[in-house]
Amino acid sequence: MTAQSNVRSSGTATQQTTGRRFTVNIRDAGTLLGLILIFAVFSFLNPVFLTGANLLNILQQSSINACIALGMTFVIISGGIDLSVGPTAAISAVVGATMMAAGVPIPLALLGALLTGMACGVFSGTLVAVAGLQPFIVTLGGLSLFRALSLIVTGGNPIFGIPQEFRAVINGDLFGVPTPVVIVAIIALVLWIVLNRSPLGEYILAVGGNQEAARIAGVPVVRTKITVYVLSGGLASIAAMILIGRLGAADPTMGNLWELDAIAAAAIGGASLMGGKGSVVGTLLGAIILGALTNGLTLMNVQAFYQLLATGIIILVAMLIDRATRGAA
Amino acid sequence: MTYTPSRLALNGIEKSFPGIKALSGVSFEVRPGEVHGLLGENGAGKSTLLNVLSAVLSADMGEIKIDGAEVHLSSPADARAAGIAMIHQELQHIPALTVAQNLFLGRPMKRVGGLLVDRSGQERKAREILAGLDPSINPATPIHELKVAQQQIVEIARALLDDAKIIAMDEPTSSLTPSEFERLAELIAELAGKGVSIIYVSHKMDEVFRICDRATILRDGQFIDTVDMAGISQDQVIAKMVGRELQAATHRSFATEEVMMQVDGLGDGKMIRNASFEVCRGEVLGIAGLVGSGRTELLRLVAGIDRATGGKITVCGKEAALRTPRHAIASGIGLVPEERKKDGIVKSRSVAANIALPCMDRFSAGGLIKRRELHAEATELMSKMRLRPPDVQRPIGQFSGGNQQKAIIGRWLAADVDILLFDEPTRGIDIGAKSEIYDLIEELAASGKSIVVVSSELPEIIRVSDRVMVMREGEIAGTLTGSDITEEQIAALAIPKSKATGSSASAPNYEVQA
Repeated sequence: MTAQSNVRSSGTATQQTTGRRFTVNIRDAGTLLGLILIFAVFSFLNPVFLTGANLLNILQQSSINACIALGMTFVIISGGIDLSVGPTAAISAVVGATMMAAGVPIPLALLGALLTGMACGVFSGTLVAVAGLQPFIVTLGGLSLFRALSLIVTGGNPIFGIPQEFRAVINGDLFGVPTPVVIVAIIALVLWIVLNRSPLGEYILAVGGNQEAARIAGVPVVRTKITVYVLSGGLASIAAMILIGRLGAADPTMGNLWELDAIAAAAIGGASLMGGKGSVVGTLLGAIILGALTNGLTLMNVQAFYQLLATGIIILVAMLIDRATRGAA
Repeated sequence: MTYTPSRLALNGIEKSFPGIKALSGVSFEVRPGEVHGLLGENGAGKSTLLNVLSAVLSADMGEIKIDGAEVHLSSPADARAAGIAMIHQELQHIPALTVAQNLFLGRPMKRVGGLLVDRSGQERKAREILAGLDPSINPATPIHELKVAQQQIVEIARALLDDAKIIAMDEPTSSLTPSEFERLAELIAELAGKGVSIIYVSHKMDEVFRICDRATILRDGQFIDTVDMAGISQDQVIAKMVGRELQAATHRSFATEEVMMQVDGLGDGKMIRNASFEVCRGEVLGIAGLVGSGRTELLRLVAGIDRATGGKITVCGKEAALRTPRHAIASGIGLVPEERKKDGIVKSRSVAANIALPCMDRFSAGGLIKRRELHAEATELMSKMRLRPPDVQRPIGQFSGGNQQKAIIGRWLAADVDILLFDEPTRGIDIGAKSEIYDLIEELAASGKSIVVVSSELPEIIRVSDRVMVMREGEIAGTLTGSDITEEQIAALAIPKSKATGSSASAPNYEVQA
């Protein structure tokens, strides 16, 4: 190579590098921009919206969906999908609440709930990774199965008797920040590190980006896939614990359609259903966008039907903008 | 030569992508009935130019003239209407549909006032067109049942159906056997005889010299020259493409007597039967054979990608577990696969991440990746291999084939495997990068690695191998060493007995170059 072309190619490289760092962030920045826009509109329409109390309220309302959506993001990045998150939450809630009501120490009951959710993940993950079934179908089956189990176990009745100490913690706050928000923030931080800094994260991105190449390169594909479903199941049970702490009861019908909100948050945040792409920050912002929308419209006394309409429009607009900007770049 | 008006004239075509000038001021012309080669290394701008021509991309500047009149192509449909047909390297059709349905895809023949597709009419018309190309293709067969060469002929039929005046072919022979190539060459000559202009993109110099009348050479997005094939040598063309003279290749051996890997009676119950061979430290073992003789299948068994049903592999005296690629890697065996995009790279991830995949344990501590160490080691590895551009943080999908190949090789160096298996190491890689890959293989052997190279290109096998094992119908037909490694000897072993005793004197399906 001549000196001239060396200079030129290294010049190109620098440009590309800066360009890339920019694009990695640009997707999250775009989601943030969307969030700011929604905040601007609502605070213009209703002065109550942009108060500290209401902002915390939004975060708290978004926390359960954010928790589920983070697990969903990991599954989606791996090239899968988890439709069974709602019933997984329900069955974990039933197990946790039953144990608490029976007087089992709270940490033990929480562990029981968590293990239940993770077991659901092992079930789906094994069918996907080992038996080679399609994730959509496997977790669709899981959706019915786990829901049925929680209904059968409870006879369809809610379980009451959640200890006050536990409820007090969940409904309490840490330096003014509601506990659920703190919990989800910690989870998000850990997951960000896992995705961006750990071998597991690299494996998940590789398996979702090109499974066969990853396998040939020695990536433990089966283990990686099972792990993401276990993660998703575990996060579903954490979301369930937050909810039973707030409600004081475990309803076996809990979590109906949670999977759709979670997928929406992940997609708004830039996760590609083709796999190999997704962002923890983006998903968080996506969940907050959906939460802010519901909150703002409720403040303005907009009927629930119209709220649903707005949610649908936001999802589609987000995807269209995503598509258009990617085409231009 | 008398003046012939140009069929296609490109004038000052410019195209930039963010950060890269892909084409700058490219001008050349193609005459009616001419077969015009388009040459250049990967990244020289050939694909971009073809995309501009077929209006998949629009040029930033410049004009395109067809038969002397300027045309403005704003969509691929415009380009088709203007008489430009494109035959892509990766053929574009819908596998489950029939030949006829694919031919008429997007503009079906109709009946009953346009309500129904006239399937029998389509098949009749398809048969008419195919009769002149390959009468053995039945228009009613699903296209995926055809051989790749036949699928390609269907693409040509599609171009003829469009009344194309200019047919651009992008690497049309990358998956054809030599005899299929001969047929394609005849077909191209026939088309040219009828006045169709062909733009022929290929990396294979022999083919270009065989088929093309003239060729235009691009380098780094710039027009270098248009040359008459009759008045120029291959070396001169290559020098123009690469921008420097390539050194003549000589084989150097670093083989020792120490057996590194011993394969005993390996089989998969389907294709491969009772394969036994050994590779020594520092040795390069070539595996030759016809397409379909089981070379790739054997490599995949050794690399643990497909399950062996019998036999064993011993590496450095220890028996290797043959269950998954992960096990093979742990035993010190790594594969550089033929289909880089499908089996090699995770294209959205960086070069560094792609390198680190097999050896995450080494690059991580306490559950976190040691990013600085990974970056430093990847950068060092890749600067030795002259990765261009030298940025290991850039997604690997943005690199040329040759540079991706360097990263895959780098992956196995980082994983410190003892045995590297190469399946068609230079497929889809341009000439300049090819010799770099050969040099790399030599360096690896010199450093004590054992290398196995599967290749369909005999000159390549002969260039790199210390020993050549020839496969025939799933079995090892024989092994050649030293001065016995010649194209004739390899071909003699590769050809199945029943065919070899047949009437054809020349080797079927095998390119024996003079």
